[in-house]
Amino acid sequence: MPKHVVGVDQPGLRAVLIGNEAVARGAIEAAAQVVAGYPGTPSSEVIETLSLVAKDFGMHVEWSVNEKVALDVAVGAAIVGARAMATMKNAGTNWVMDMFATVVYGGVSGGLVVYSADDPDAFYSSTEQDTRPLAKAVGVLILEPKDQQEAKDMAKAGFDYSERFELPVFLRSVTRICHSGGDVEFGEIRRSRNKVFFDRHYKLPFRWNVYGPFKYGGKVGPTAKHAWQLERIEEIKDFVNRSEFNWIEEGEVPLGIVASGIGYSYVKDALAKLKPDGWPWILKVGTPYPLPEEALRKLIDNVDKILVVEEGDPFVEEQLYAFMKEYSPEKPIYGKTRRQLVLRYGELGIAQVVNALARFLGVEAPNIPAGRRAVKGEVAKILAPRSSALCPGCQHLGTYWGLRFALIKAISKFRGRMKGVWIVNGDIGCYEQGGYGIFAKEIEAGEARESRRVMFNNPYEILDTNYIMGGGIGVAQGEFHAGYRDGPIVAVAGDSTFFHACMPAIANAVYNKAAITFIVLDNAWTAMTGHQPSPASGVTATLEPARRFRVEDVARSLGVEHVWVVDPYNVKEVEKAILEAIETSVEKGVPTLVVARRECILQVVRRLTREGKELATYVVDEGRCVGCRLCVQLGCPAVGWDRERGKAFIDPVLCVACGLCAQVCPVNAIVPSVKGKTLRDYVG
Amino acid sequence: MVKAYYIMIAGVGGQGTVMLSRIIGDAALMRGLHVRIGETYGAAMRGGAVHSHVKVGEEIHSPLLMEDEADALLALEPLEGLRRGLTYLKPEGVVVINTRRVYPIDVNVGVAAYPPVDRIVDALRRLGGVVVAHDFTALAEKAGTSRAMNVAVLGAFSRVIEGAETPFDREVLVEAVKKRVPKRWVEVNVKAFNMGYEVADRALK
Repeated sequence: MPKHVVGVDQPGLRAVLIGNEAVARGAIEAAAQVVAGYPGTPSSEVIETLSLVAKDFGMHVEWSVNEKVALDVAVGAAIVGARAMATMKNAGTNWVMDMFATVVYGGVSGGLVVYSADDPDAFYSSTEQDTRPLAKAVGVLILEPKDQQEAKDMAKAGFDYSERFELPVFLRSVTRICHSGGDVEFGEIRRSRNKVFFDRHYKLPFRWNVYGPFKYGGKVGPTAKHAWQLERIEEIKDFVNRSEFNWIEEGEVPLGIVASGIGYSYVKDALAKLKPDGWPWILKVGTPYPLPEEALRKLIDNVDKILVVEEGDPFVEEQLYAFMKEYSPEKPIYGKTRRQLVLRYGELGIAQVVNALARFLGVEAPNIPAGRRAVKGEVAKILAPRSSALCPGCQHLGTYWGLRFALIKAISKFRGRMKGVWIVNGDIGCYEQGGYGIFAKEIEAGEARESRRVMFNNPYEILDTNYIMGGGIGVAQGEFHAGYRDGPIVAVAGDSTFFHACMPAIANAVYNKAAITFIVLDNAWTAMTGHQPSPASGVTATLEPARRFRVEDVARSLGVEHVWVVDPYNVKEVEKAILEAIETSVEKGVPTLVVARRECILQVVRRLTREGKELATYVVDEGRCVGCRLCVQLGCPAVGWDRERGKAFIDPVLCVACGLCAQVCPVNAIVPSVKGKTLRDYVG
Repeated sequence: MVKAYYIMIAGVGGQGTVMLSRIIGDAALMRGLHVRIGETYGAAMRGGAVHSHVKVGEEIHSPLLMEDEADALLALEPLEGLRRGLTYLKPEGVVVINTRRVYPIDVNVGVAAYPPVDRIVDALRRLGGVVVAHDFTALAEKAGTSRAMNVAVLGAFSRVIEGAETPFDREVLVEAVKKRVPKRWVEVNVKAFNMGYEVADRALK
């Protein structure tokens, strides 16, 4: 039996798959040969799924060190004739733009699908960015699925389309497709695999070298290749009129809806709920670029006004506006920016589509009776929040504890020289929760253009800045070179982030002499996205043994001379190392590095559980507890505060016996319970 | 035409909400129906709030429930049950709720109070229809592993819907459990399912 249902060779089989698993199945049905990506929620399950069955299909599946490398790898495969796919989240698509914008000059010979998972409502992302405008700017066909079945079908067809036009195809999904389950009917798995070959003049002379003396349309070199690409786009514009993913559903009243991707599914459910007397016309769009113009004309000819329903930017809406300006300028468009019926931010969601459709169709939207609303208001009063926090026993709690006290000591040490306002630059990963501010009070914004010290007593407010993968280490350097000297400048990042984007920035810091302290929280996995392996893990995506990279070795080879490697479960050691690293960087005017290394606690606990090992918990000796609440400041979800008794307590359900809270207790009131072994007894 | 049936599953990370939604999805497939399951589960964190929108029927398209649309609420944790029930439970919707609490960090550090479980159960009675509340974690432990708690809740659900017009019954749900759960855990899970069924049976009599 294959290790995942997507590997079952049984056309007609129905299974519940999430969108990403469906895309994986599509790649299998298309006989993809190389699939590369970097973990990014909500895209990661494509490669996670394929890695389980890659061997069964002779497929090379890899976690690349970043998305840009992943696309380069996929392009390499596609120019030697293989079918290839690159996977990424929205932010990753920004990373690949250089290659993406260039590979279209000359295109590919094997099918190349670029899969991007957008995240409207930013469930797991720093932005809500819609990647469709990027793909349109590059000039490729965009496919956008309405559900999991279509995600599978489009992934498969994407390879055919790509080979037909010799250009990459962009498959754009969104969180509610990627991470929602739906029933998917399996198709045939393509029996033949593309032949792998290399001909530098395949169909077009000097095809794979963008500077090659390629002649086309009276031009030579990149301009000629651009002319070639523009002709392909004209062919694609014609082709989408016949694509199986676009269709018209004729209506009974002169009202038109253009629904792209998952927008179509919301529209169908909303209409079933609203049950209007006259059914509107629907143009279901599966290719948001280019739009199927023949169907558009038919729709416009039959309706008086049009509502556009799509997830993300008003992308179809803008194109429709441009089209109608020529074709039928008098008919109004309703959407995200025109006669706004749908918000431009947040996810679409069924409720919003129901309300938008109700207004557009002039029918009543369902609503909650006032009496029930009142009951809900009353019940809601007893509700308590459940904030997102670092896991019980997370080693980052130890690192952040050490960092907090090292910073306090550093500003005391540099009193007189510095104002005592440090900057901690964050990055993307579990440790970004250091900026979630889950206990933050209402803040008054400042106007004074003066450095302002902010005090906090928990790890969830430690990060001052955070933008993008690998951003913190670069931003830190800019702060330094601008002349910021009011306090130490620190940057933090994880191990996977380090290999993804930090290495050039470290070389830059050494080269340009930035006095900053860089802390790498190395837990050996890409933990936040679900523990995918990274170069720090010692295994590949398909669990083949691989070289285990050490962050400190790489940093030393890039010229970082002052390096400390510490155990985050030893908070004193962490604090001492960070303090020394800050002092060294300030005194010597160079970057310094602290690596806080311990394997992700979730992985460790899972392994111990599998082996049947039982973990003790820690308990508070109430006789000794003085109620200072230092342990609560650690920010571990398992450490609690009993208001009535004025004592700390440890939640036995959550505690993993890491002992961090025992270390920070000044009166040794936290001790292991008598039965069983602690985590440290097992893993040191 | 089979009436569409909507279920809201609420819990915290690590309790098996996703597994439960997949078991119900498989049962729907066995009935030849379409399924949509709306979830977000990005971070691998333990203890975060998790919920699943499950829609089953002959013609369904999108993955999310609207307010007051859930025919059933399966609450693997009381506070999370209240949170999702408050939004999604329909006035006649049925509820199976595990009374074993998992404290949020907000409660542990003392910035919020965990409501008494009997008040949560009362609130759900005001919001919905039949409510079966029990410590299903303890029940699953008796069956052989606390990890079968989600399946014990499903067993109770199979009793609650007896006689109602739904796409499910005890047989198809047990079959789906057997299909999804790893082989060596099937026996324990079926036991937990049946124990959950009995609990609901006693509660409803």
